[in-house]
Amino acid sequence: MSLKAENLSRAYGSGLLGRGKCIFRDVSFELEPGKTFGLMGPSGEGKSTLGRIIAGLERPTDGAVLFNGNPLSKMKKAEYSTFRRRVQMMFQDPTDAFNPRKRIEHSIFEVLKLLEISGTERIRCTKEMLKTTGLPEEVLFRYPSQLSGGQLQRLALGRILLLDPEYIILDEPTSALDVSVQAQVLHLLKKVQAEQGIGYLLISHDEAVIRFMSDSCGELEKGQLGLIEV
Amino acid sequence: MMQKEVYIQESVRQWKDIIAHHLNLDIRKYERTLNKFNRGGLFLFAFFLILALFPSLFAPYSPTERFISYESPSTAHLLGTNDIGNDILSELIYGARISMMVGFASASISTLIGLMIGLCSGYFRGTPDELLMGFTDVVLTIPKIPLIIIIGAFLHPSILTLILVLGLLSWESIARVVRSKTLQIREAGYVKSARCMGFSSFHIMASDIFPNLIHILLPKFMLATASAMISEASLSFLGLGDISMKSWGIMLSFAFSRGGFIRDMWWWYLPPGICITLCVMSIALIGFGFEGGKENEKRGVDTE
Repeated sequence: MSLKAENLSRAYGSGLLGRGKCIFRDVSFELEPGKTFGLMGPSGEGKSTLGRIIAGLERPTDGAVLFNGNPLSKMKKAEYSTFRRRVQMMFQDPTDAFNPRKRIEHSIFEVLKLLEISGTERIRCTKEMLKTTGLPEEVLFRYPSQLSGGQLQRLALGRILLLDPEYIILDEPTSALDVSVQAQVLHLLKKVQAEQGIGYLLISHDEAVIRFMSDSCGELEKGQLGLIEV
Repeated sequence: MMQKEVYIQESVRQWKDIIAHHLNLDIRKYERTLNKFNRGGLFLFAFFLILALFPSLFAPYSPTERFISYESPSTAHLLGTNDIGNDILSELIYGARISMMVGFASASISTLIGLMIGLCSGYFRGTPDELLMGFTDVVLTIPKIPLIIIIGAFLHPSILTLILVLGLLSWESIARVVRSKTLQIREAGYVKSARCMGFSSFHIMASDIFPNLIHILLPKFMLATASAMISEASLSFLGLGDISMKSWGIMLSFAFSRGGFIRDMWWWYLPPGICITLCVMSIALIGFGFEGGKENEKRGVDTE
């Protein structure tokens, strides 16, 4: 199981009349299970776009994302749905990680229903998830607006873990949190990685976070990816 | 005296807490929602709604019963009688149901179409968006009332065609508003993560996007109802309505063509006009009340 980016390029505003503005060009790297690849770079260099492309939410202008050696764009339906389960993404803003109109319980059970897990199993899975993330059971009956950013971000991670992913793309998972909560979330991420051997792509502009988490690291600058020593 | 009032207030509060606790309902939240409506609009609307639902309770006679024609208002006939001797007050009360039914039915149709087109083009973007919005722009440029008149003249005039024609031709603004809001919600974290987790597009649209559209759909629905009622009145006045179903617009039309205006029988032509105005106004006021509500209200938070 591997997730690989090959010569990815992305341009905005390309169409019939022009080639558009190129954000990055020929970006290649590989994510390994149980390891973290840190991605740094100044704002507006396309870090998040790159993350969304790897997660399959956007298409690259050129190049391919390979999952188990198959390019995403040529996958059959069954293959694509395994990819969809195995590669997940976590976003920056914890306040809109959950639908504001649903109780947390609803958002979690929805995922378990998608996985075709039966009634009693659902409760067991949810309890286990709360134990991993270290949250009390009462958060289930709240609306997202009644929880703190740190709690929401941990819940978001917990919900992703229900799908048993192999790779998680972390798009600035801690930049909306304050320092003490950042540490909680990062430690949780490390713990989960050690237990389940998940590969991370960590996107951040905070060098300290990257240094703490990453096994290898790259920097996007002027549209090119340069590998740097951690 | 004061003591007793305080006591009553206290016990009302306690009861609310008990009900809230047992039924898992937050009554105070609903009270706050109610405060957002325009009270006057709500009161007027409730009045018309009761008239429309139970006309037989209020009307003194059956609308088809015949008396002496062209009578002036008297105690027997509060608003007099018309050219064929029907009691005008009874006619007016029975007309409420038809006018409101046309309004709500055609607004439901147009809201439903607008919602579906707006959701699909906002969610899928790209080519479907361009096609659907292009189509919407084309429909938007069609002059509505002349087209409705032509269609109404060719089709057999019945209440169903009226509802369909009004409903099928007034969804564009709803579609555009829904689309722009969908484009915004689509970029929210919870929609993106739902896509990541492999939920179907239908599931995402129905359970993640639609509930967050309701606060813009409701006022749109109310305003569509109001404008459909006005269109119905003007079409009926032009003689394109269903004569067997006497709505307020048809009453106006008859008052005009059968001598109400010439004989200066104000009790014949004024009441339906006033009823249309008040009813449309009450619905519009309720719609404005919804619009005034906080846009980004989140569940479970005290917004006041």
